[in-house]
Amino acid sequence: MKQVEKLINELTQQKLERQTRRHFLMDCVSKMGGLALAPLMFGCDTGSSSKASSGLNLSQRDLNPLAPLPPPFTGKAKSIIYLHMAGAPSQLELFDFKPELAKYHNQPCPESLLEGRKFAFIRGVPNLLGPQAKFEQHGESGAWVSDFLPHFSKVVDEVAFLKAVHTDQFNHGPAQLFMQTGSPRLGRPSLGSWVTYGLGTENQNLPGFVVLTSGGKTPDAGKSVWGSGFLPSVYQGVQCRSKGDPVLYLQDPDGMSRDMKKNLISAINTVNKSEFDQYGDPEILARINQYEMAYRMQIEVPEVMNINDEPKYIHDLYGTKPGSESFANNCLLARKLVEKGVRFVQLYDWGWDTHGTDHDGSIDMGLRNKCREIDRPMSALLLDLKQRGLLEDTLVVWGGEFGRTPMQENREGKTQSFLGRDHHGDAFTMWMAGGGIKKGASYGLTDDFGFSGIGEQVSVHDIHATILHLMGFDHEQFTYEFQGRPFRLTDVEGELIRKILA
Amino acid sequence: MIEFILPLFGRFHPILVHLPIGILAFGIILVFLSEKGTSKHLDSIRLAFLLGGIFAVISSISGFLQYQYEGFTWETVQFHFFFGWATAIASFWLFYEVNKANSNPKNLKLKAAGLFGLMLFTGHLGGNITHGEEYLIEVLPPEMQSLIGYEIEPEKGLVLPEQGWEELAYYDEVVQPILNQNCKSCHNPKNLKGELDLTSFDKMLEGGEDGSILTAGNAKESALYSRLVLPKEDEDHMPPEEKRQPEKEAIELIRAWIDLGATKSAKLGESNIDTETLEPFFHRVEKPFYPELAVDPATEESLSNLKAEGFFAEKVSETSNWLMISCVNFQSFSDQDWSKLGAVKNQIAYLDMTGTQVTDAILDSLNTLPNLTVLKLNQTGISGDNLQVLNENKNLKHLYLNETKVDLSSIQALKEHPLLEKVFAFDTPLAEKEVSEKFKFILETGNYQLPALPTDTIVY
Repeated sequence: MKQVEKLINELTQQKLERQTRRHFLMDCVSKMGGLALAPLMFGCDTGSSSKASSGLNLSQRDLNPLAPLPPPFTGKAKSIIYLHMAGAPSQLELFDFKPELAKYHNQPCPESLLEGRKFAFIRGVPNLLGPQAKFEQHGESGAWVSDFLPHFSKVVDEVAFLKAVHTDQFNHGPAQLFMQTGSPRLGRPSLGSWVTYGLGTENQNLPGFVVLTSGGKTPDAGKSVWGSGFLPSVYQGVQCRSKGDPVLYLQDPDGMSRDMKKNLISAINTVNKSEFDQYGDPEILARINQYEMAYRMQIEVPEVMNINDEPKYIHDLYGTKPGSESFANNCLLARKLVEKGVRFVQLYDWGWDTHGTDHDGSIDMGLRNKCREIDRPMSALLLDLKQRGLLEDTLVVWGGEFGRTPMQENREGKTQSFLGRDHHGDAFTMWMAGGGIKKGASYGLTDDFGFSGIGEQVSVHDIHATILHLMGFDHEQFTYEFQGRPFRLTDVEGELIRKILA
Repeated sequence: MIEFILPLFGRFHPILVHLPIGILAFGIILVFLSEKGTSKHLDSIRLAFLLGGIFAVISSISGFLQYQYEGFTWETVQFHFFFGWATAIASFWLFYEVNKANSNPKNLKLKAAGLFGLMLFTGHLGGNITHGEEYLIEVLPPEMQSLIGYEIEPEKGLVLPEQGWEELAYYDEVVQPILNQNCKSCHNPKNLKGELDLTSFDKMLEGGEDGSILTAGNAKESALYSRLVLPKEDEDHMPPEEKRQPEKEAIELIRAWIDLGATKSAKLGESNIDTETLEPFFHRVEKPFYPELAVDPATEESLSNLKAEGFFAEKVSETSNWLMISCVNFQSFSDQDWSKLGAVKNQIAYLDMTGTQVTDAILDSLNTLPNLTVLKLNQTGISGDNLQVLNENKNLKHLYLNETKVDLSSIQALKEHPLLEKVFAFDTPLAEKEVSEKFKFILETGNYQLPALPTDTIVY
């Protein structure tokens, strides 16, 4: 404790030395002016921290921004696992069965579909490309699933399909941002940030919003897809790695023992405490809390991120191989994380951009390989959540950022050597399962070529509204004051998709 | 030729009233500026009260004419009427008082203040008639509104039964409720914006200042519909941009009613409306998951005590008193720690003890939680031998016993439980064997496998 006292004395000494007569006078002038202006201009208050600035009743939230809060309504789901297939999988080879399209395989695309349209790469009049997979109906719900996903076809009765989702973005970056933040431009908080901001997190020794990536690359839109936008940065996603240290810079450096770390943190916090006693700024308390949480995480994060101790039959179920970075490992980790009370687990799997420019990007080969990588793990995830009863209050969402064209891509007007499809946002398939979702439902109709939705279309905003509803929010009421106006995840749009609610 | 003069004069009432207000206010100010016992300003004061009184009479007459020719009821205007005349009379009386005196009369300030109050109150009543009684209150922050005892009671929206909606009277049970929710506040007998009253079928047929708002069988030609679908920015769009907007399904219902002939006798089923459009209005009697009885909320103190002990403790929603308690950060919780939960015994609806140190003995404590709905005892030393005591938790719906030592006989002890819906017993001795017995509840034992397929290993 003597050392701590010394530190505090040092701090006080330094402060006093800095306080010259000039500083004092300048402070007096500027602060008096500030005092007069503050009530006129609402200070720098964004309106959201009015509770904090009162300084008198500090809520649990002010001290710990991740402290849990009750949802406005009783939600059906407590946690979310969002599986995002970055690059956009082809709905025409997975879920949207179009026998008519097969009949017109290799025929020129009708002009009526192309009129006034812009595509990312298609130029002129492309040929139609028939489905490259065999489709069959599965389960009691009779959902169409292709032979690209043989395992998933066994669990279709757990999920609700949205077959006519549309987006207005046709490039990966903006479309991913739109799907994850509700806006194709940078600066908005991601879905996971909104949810952790609104509900906090159950387990105080783990981050509330965890991001896991696979497929060799992170999403095209960069880390903004799990960013916190204008929300406090504590609500951004924490990227955990499935190889090496799960969270970078969390472990103690060599030669630093846990006891030493404990002493270090308690010394820092004592100094911070005295700062708080002097200034009463709740940010200081939040900082004290963050140090303590990081200290607790050092134990729990490596524990929950370790899949080695899972029994063999679980590894067999998921097809996991410990020590590698894979979608399978991430699925198993996602289950472990929600089991431990993490609010939002976001998975990104890269490599779905099947333009047909090379072998890996071909519809008949590369896409099949990608499907094999996710088929067993995502089916296993649903079954594993189900057998543990976690599917009761965990929402699982699957989808890309848009869909793909029914036409063969003809980049630069040339015939390509591989089968491929261009970006297309008019109609694509997503699915949801778990907390509050109607099992075996299918919503959305597309035309004979799978080009456009012809009924029961849903927008990205509708999906966000539905997800927030399941978590216990009214998406129109859930706002954050920023730059003088309240912001919503769904902006001024979004309607509940009631047909897929249980 | 002359008959337009009177209603025109009536319509000048809102302008005329400002004359006596200004003149009298000036007179009253002079009263307060003059000194006791002197005759300073006396002439001006006299003139002000005389002119004020005359204009007050003119205003009152114009007001009476407005009442006669515009759509106001006597109930709405009566007090404004009386107080208007009272103001006029009081002005003349003050003029008389000042006129007969040579110096400032006694108590003139008091009397002038009284006149001022009277005038202010009359003006306020008039404002209420023009702008509505909520005019001033509306802009106050909600906390202040409730402080002065003003609660906005929103008109209930349209609610339809899922079965038998075809037989509903289209106007009375569908259109009128939509109008009540979206239009009534400005189009009612007391507040006749555009001279339109939408509170009854007959009044609606009368139309407004631009004539009829209905063309039977043609919604596009009917202002009742066409103004709803104008762009929001359009000046003629209804309801006004800043007001609550009806759902697009509600607008569709109005369109279909007009196209059907806009009659009072039509049935909802006669239109081409489908269930998709009605979906948002169906009243789903959804049985809440947690018990329906009311309990007192847990005290703030007991909640913060629980949090300090290391529990996750939160209400299931902002408006609910049921508590969700989890030991996810209190893994050392053991049977002895039970007393810590005592203060919130009646409020606990969700209790997660996964991974804690509890033993079979905890069950004897758990059965004292009358409203427990979800209980998680995963990864604990529960053997299942005394599981039957949970039969006393009458509200229990979901029971989690994953990774414990429970077997079939312990589950059988619960087969008479009245409400139990799901029991999870994955990775237990029970799950090792096939369970052929059927229970009222779903027994989930898991052990799912995804058999290896040749395609699992084929790389294309």
